[in-house]
Amino acid sequence: MSLKYVGKNITRPDAVQKATGKARFLADIKLPGMLYAAILRPGHAHARIVSIDTSEAEKCEGVVKVITGKGCSQKYRYGDNIRDFVPMADEKVRYIGEPLAAVIAKNPHQAKEALKKITVQVHPLPVYTQATDALADGATLIHEASGDYWHLPGVGPKPGTNIATHYRLKKGDAAKGFAESDVVVEAEFKYPFGSCAAIEPHGSIVWFHEDGMIEIWSSSICPFIIREEVARVYDRPESDVRVHIPEVGGCFGYKSDITVEQTVAYIASFVPGHPVKWVATRKEDFTSTLLGHGMVIRMKIGAKKDGKLMALATTVYHSTGAYADTGLHVSIAAAHNSTGAYEYPNCDLETFLTYTNTPPIGAWRGYGHPEAQFAQERLIEILARKLGMDRFALREKNYLGPGKITSLGEHLWETNGSIQKCVDVVKRTVFDKPRPPEDPEYYYGRGFAAIMKSPKGAPFSSKGAYLKFNADGSVVINCGGAEVGQGLRNVVRLVAAETLKMPPERIHVYTEIDTQFSPWEWQTIGSMFTKQGGRAVWRACLKAIAQMKQTASQVLRCDVDLLDYDGEYVFLASDPSVKVEVTKLVRGYMYENGMVVGEVVQACADARLPRYSGFDPATGQGSMGVSYTFGAQAAEIRIEKKTGKIIVDHFASCFDVGRVIQPQQIRGQVTGGVVMTVGAALCEEVRFDQDGKCVNPLFRKYRFPTIKDAPKKQTVDFVETPGVIGPYGARGIGEHPVIGPPPAILNAIHDATGIDFFEIPVTPEKMKKALDEKGSGGEK
Amino acid sequence: MAEKITLTVNQVPYTIEIEGWEHLIDVLRDEIGLTGTKRGCDDLSCGACTVLMNGEAVKSCQVLAKRASGADVVTIEALAQGTKLHPIQEALIESGAVQCGFCIPGIVMGLHGLFRKKLDATEAEIADTLENHLCRCTGYEAIFEGAKLAQKKLKAR
Ligand code: FES
Ligand code: FES
Repeated sequence: MSLKYVGKNITRPDAVQKATGKARFLADIKLPGMLYAAILRPGHAHARIVSIDTSEAEKCEGVVKVITGKGCSQKYRYGDNIRDFVPMADEKVRYIGEPLAAVIAKNPHQAKEALKKITVQVHPLPVYTQATDALADGATLIHEASGDYWHLPGVGPKPGTNIATHYRLKKGDAAKGFAESDVVVEAEFKYPFGSCAAIEPHGSIVWFHEDGMIEIWSSSICPFIIREEVARVYDRPESDVRVHIPEVGGCFGYKSDITVEQTVAYIASFVPGHPVKWVATRKEDFTSTLLGHGMVIRMKIGAKKDGKLMALATTVYHSTGAYADTGLHVSIAAAHNSTGAYEYPNCDLETFLTYTNTPPIGAWRGYGHPEAQFAQERLIEILARKLGMDRFALREKNYLGPGKITSLGEHLWETNGSIQKCVDVVKRTVFDKPRPPEDPEYYYGRGFAAIMKSPKGAPFSSKGAYLKFNADGSVVINCGGAEVGQGLRNVVRLVAAETLKMPPERIHVYTEIDTQFSPWEWQTIGSMFTKQGGRAVWRACLKAIAQMKQTASQVLRCDVDLLDYDGEYVFLASDPSVKVEVTKLVRGYMYENGMVVGEVVQACADARLPRYSGFDPATGQGSMGVSYTFGAQAAEIRIEKKTGKIIVDHFASCFDVGRVIQPQQIRGQVTGGVVMTVGAALCEEVRFDQDGKCVNPLFRKYRFPTIKDAPKKQTVDFVETPGVIGPYGARGIGEHPVIGPPPAILNAIHDATGIDFFEIPVTPEKMKKALDEKGSGGEK
Repeated sequence: MAEKITLTVNQVPYTIEIEGWEHLIDVLRDEIGLTGTKRGCDDLSCGACTVLMNGEAVKSCQVLAKRASGADVVTIEALAQGTKLHPIQEALIESGAVQCGFCIPGIVMGLHGLFRKKLDATEAEIADTLENHLCRCTGYEAIFEGAKLAQKKLKAR
């Protein structure tokens, strides 16, 4: 297929606004009569509230109102999957960043000052930061009434325990698979808490209008979920809740679902008529939005002597924090995607989503895949050693691909892409050259990871597009997909340009999302926009072309299926000189006497993954992947002997994305994703002390990679085996690059030193300690 | 405890009443309404708030407002001339460095501060400047390429 715009480096439509500082982010918005909220956070991570005294705060300068959560847990409880969230602590606090009280004032400084005057008395309770502790017999319950919470069918809390959901998937017969195996390996892995840490902190503005409308602005990727949930809680029709999404300064997961919006809505509901704004400080962004990961994964693999994989058993202990609504699907995704890129005929995969006293855990780029496949890619490497097999040969024997069946029971086809082609690229760039020999200063190593990514959607995860032709033949397109930097506006524009056969400059793509004018979209997650949103745009374009042909068939007096379209004209295929201009069709066709026939050209379309379903409670299987993407990644590292510092000299990635829509943008997705989890592998961890206090809620202490920590060089390549759902064969890419770096780097550490790590981050201190131990006559 | 300061921002003189706790970033964003300067952290580490003060790139969240008294400040809003972008902006766009864009105004100003003083900065010096800026989207590759392209464009001017 020769394409004119798709696949070209055409500049993204939002670049100039952003580079000039004119793009409008949440914090930049000022509204008439706006008030500012500051939120009090508890000094304890788990405690019963005895009293909150707000009287002194109420007297402070500029203060309009002081609010507590007393009684809010009845009326205002919310959640998409498990309705366990409260907008503000009521009766007890469950994590250190929970909203405990709030001050509304004329300016943010006054609000913050007044917070200091609120006095709180609590009765402390035992604190659990790890699932394994919260699951122990006799552990204090974090949610005493969890059995009463509304939840989706097939999931939900186990009353009387801290389990928020237990999910178990069975494929084949795992016990039999292990019994028939010649070799079994097992280990426990840990992927600690991480922060998405977008440079723009989370925040929202909520305005209860005098006429009953509720208007919301949020740095979010799910305006329609916010609308639905706020409407439900405040008993308004959804049509009376209007949500705007301004420019979003990075997301990576944690601005999904609905979290801070309900807290700001609760606060703002006390001052109807005034918009109330709250923007997280960086500390709050760490402690009071969503964190990621928090998984301990026990994994066991059984294989035949020749390397044929026989069985996989995975148990995930997922510390989901104080509220489980947002962690639920991450946990389930971790379990069923823990096979990684391999076919296991027999699987027993389970997860314990467990309440703990940390901030709630939610989406973090990759959604369960990075954690589970960290374990898989480390353990399969260990299996290769135990079998005495080449790491590539073992993997190649077992890759998922045409004719293979995933853990969920889904069949794979050629159109799911080729992992082998990706592996070949990475092998060539990293492994087909000699490894540098150890020298006095450094150890050198290379490590590999294969990856699989399914989207993790929901049965109703549609995306939509509204397309409108203007009188001059230019086009405006609105979608509900949140642009968080990933470049989806350009995907919309290039797919539309290609399909409508017109230059991209003639197509204007939306900036803000506004639930009043934007098409419905479930939420912009799961690396699904290019595929589904792009498909919705493509379908809308085809509908618009069909409308024009319909009108032209009247004007040219011929059957509609004899007509063709080239971007400027609709014409008779058999005689292109018989034609009518697009500009004469877009408002319907007007005859000389002023009579008009035909429709105004404007189209609306949506797209979803075909036959997506929930899971069968008996087996945990179901059509929950639908669309899979495969890839391969590898690291070349150097370890400084003196300090234990790990330097990534080269990182290579190749994914079968079906179709590259914009080469520069897709490369940027990969280079950015790789650096993000080079950070997870080597330095990032949100840490809590035994009292549940976050000890590093600052960039300087959390430390994610700067330019100096990024790999010295990245190789980024793509295979393009077209898929059948996405426009022009495209699949997703947003999350995929973060999956491979931690296992590839840890595999490289073993290659360099013979040392196996089972948890990240491997800081220089940990590396140095392991080297010293090894040097002093420990293991090989 | 309000006090008055006078400063020049993008060649416009302002006299502004400030509170003791206010920083230059607050003056720029909240008092003057120049919201191109971004706030990304509480601990002087992200660089999103970078502006030029008396010709030097500074983190505006670090400068107490009263210290900015008498200063000559340049923000991101002053770089483009109408629809003609500054070469640094052009270069970052061309290299694909703009993703969410939240870090970009600060990076433009940081590079502006560097190249004004030292147009022939080495790659290591460019990296030193960029180390003051956190970007969560790009992995820095396109930013570094953009910085080098900007240098080339500025030299050719
Ligand atoms: S806001 Fe982060 S350094 Fe100034
Ligand atoms: S482009 Fe998003 S933080 Fe740099």
